Amino acid sequence: MTVAALSAAEAPLQASPRAVSRRRAIRRFKLSLLAPLIALFAFVLMPVLLLQLYFSVHQWTVYLGSWWDADYIGLDLFKEVLTDPRFGWAVVRSLAFATGSTIGCFVFGFLLAYLMHKPFRGQAIYYIIFILPMLTVPVVVAYTAEMMLYQSGPLNDVITRLSGIEFKPSWLSDPHLALMTVSLLEIWNWTPFSFIIMLAGLTAIPKEPIEAAEILGASKWRIFWEVQVPLLRPVILLALVLRFLEAMAEFPKTWSLFQGGPGSATETLPVYIFMTTWQYFEISKGAAMSYIVMLLMIVIVLFAIRLLRREKRSLDKMYEQTDSPKVEA
Amino acid sequence: MAMTKSQRRRITSGVRYVVLSVWGLMAFFPIYWIISTSFKLDTQWFAWPPYYFPSPPTLANYMNVWFGAEEYAQTQYAISSQKPLISLYNSTVIAVTSTFLSVLFGSMIAYGVSRYRILSEARMFQLLMLRMIPPIVIVAPLSLYYTAIGLIDTRFGLILVYFLTTLPYAVWMTKSFIDEVPLEVEQAAEILGASRWRTVFEIVLPLIRSGLVATFLFILILTWSEYLLALIITKTQVTTLPIELSKYQGSTEGRVYGRQAALAVGITVPLMIVGLIIRKHLARGFSFGMVRR
Repeated sequence: MTVAALSAAEAPLQASPRAVSRRRAIRRFKLSLLAPLIALFAFVLMPVLLLQLYFSVHQWTVYLGSWWDADYIGLDLFKEVLTDPRFGWAVVRSLAFATGSTIGCFVFGFLLAYLMHKPFRGQAIYYIIFILPMLTVPVVVAYTAEMMLYQSGPLNDVITRLSGIEFKPSWLSDPHLALMTVSLLEIWNWTPFSFIIMLAGLTAIPKEPIEAAEILGASKWRIFWEVQVPLLRPVILLALVLRFLEAMAEFPKTWSLFQGGPGSATETLPVYIFMTTWQYFEISKGAAMSYIVMLLMIVIVLFAIRLLRREKRSLDKMYEQTDSPKVEA
Repeated sequence: MAMTKSQRRRITSGVRYVVLSVWGLMAFFPIYWIISTSFKLDTQWFAWPPYYFPSPPTLANYMNVWFGAEEYAQTQYAISSQKPLISLYNSTVIAVTSTFLSVLFGSMIAYGVSRYRILSEARMFQLLMLRMIPPIVIVAPLSLYYTAIGLIDTRFGLILVYFLTTLPYAVWMTKSFIDEVPLEVEQAAEILGASRWRTVFEIVLPLIRSGLVATFLFILILTWSEYLLALIITKTQVTTLPIELSKYQGSTEGRVYGRQAALAVGITVPLMIVGLIIRKHLARGFSFGMVRR
């Protein structure tokens, strides 16, 4: 809607010198707006990506002398990583962690948002309390968890007192529980994210279809599934996709709390890459691993982006139809 | 079922309050726990049964961690030498500067995209990759690159990466605000002979200033709490608060929960204040401006 109105497109067919200089000025203006981004790409991102490529095909670690004359070894490292069962398990753990916590965040977030989307007394207070977990620093979440989850700690104590049954899982040292513990932390930490997105969605969807269905005598259950959920599809997908991607990158909590342990129970992809690079100092293997993970993530992200593009369009359409919020001065 | 409509409504409302309150307690209990632990004496940090209230509450943890107060430094748990204050300074400088850069240049790019389409829709989505690819995949080459060009362990180095990684949020979020500004204003300015730069800085950006503040505070939340990049790029000369907190973990054998809690509360409270100020804009921020409210 915008380009033509302001600028270049008004240039007449036979360009007068004035129009030419104007167009040039506009091009200069556009370029200078983009300059910082181009500079960042050229001086930070590109060198880093090239270095990463270099290290993934050269054998180098910190005690091997200067990195620029490391031995070229081709794709050996990629082969090594792809046949490394530990890497495979890290992929599985990451996917399991991301899927589980995304679903958890979403279910609770949606439930809360649904209960909150119509005004009621005390709404503002609940809203504030519900978003607090999102506003804690991830490292702080990890240490708080440590203070609460030891076997005779407050969480088990509270549950024991409330239920009257001895409840003593060792959240932090049982290898079967550890990944679940991190997932639960992630759910505690980020349910507010799904909550605020779903709440924004629920309050923004048009009221007329719901009212129409009510008049026609549809039950709440049917209205929910057949009117609200379809209208909410873009928001739902947004909440799922963004959360999943963030969960794939989760590092601070997993690392601060477990350092990959007990055993290798919480060795997700970020943790394993971190350990390979900064504990075993296998820089090259870490780089090859990073490359594979990056490619994997690019595939996932490209898929996610396609989804987001489609859903953003229907979201924008929805905001155009309902009166879109204006800037608050 | 013989129930009148008002009865049913009262039950629904009651159920709602119960569910919301249960979740509210679950959401708040860990926060309460870390705050209360920060006021506990060292014998109550790790006791059985746990102390649910600090009795008596003490400021020893805060005095020792933040101010290195001598009278609290005699115990075996005294590990502070006032370093958190330096980290606080680092964190503040790094978070504020990188956020400022991100919002300044991000809003300019956003303006260009909104009015001149300097980035196509596809490019805009590709920009999101900067945020969606886990940063762990570039930290090793990044740290070697920084070592080579002398940016390792410097504030500027960290500022630069934060600038890069938060730029997608800045561009997308400010664009969602700029899109809401009617074009007529700018056309009027153009007719009156204002230069393009003046139009951006004196007309458009002031019009969305509340949006810019929201974007600034939102990105501040991200840069303030970032952990992985700070852990790798900053080592000894420069530490940010989250890294300072994690050092308490490694440096001692015993559990120093009270001290950690005092530090953690100091790190988290500013974040919560900022977050609550922009609570209406959080959905827009986290969804890259796609969801509005």
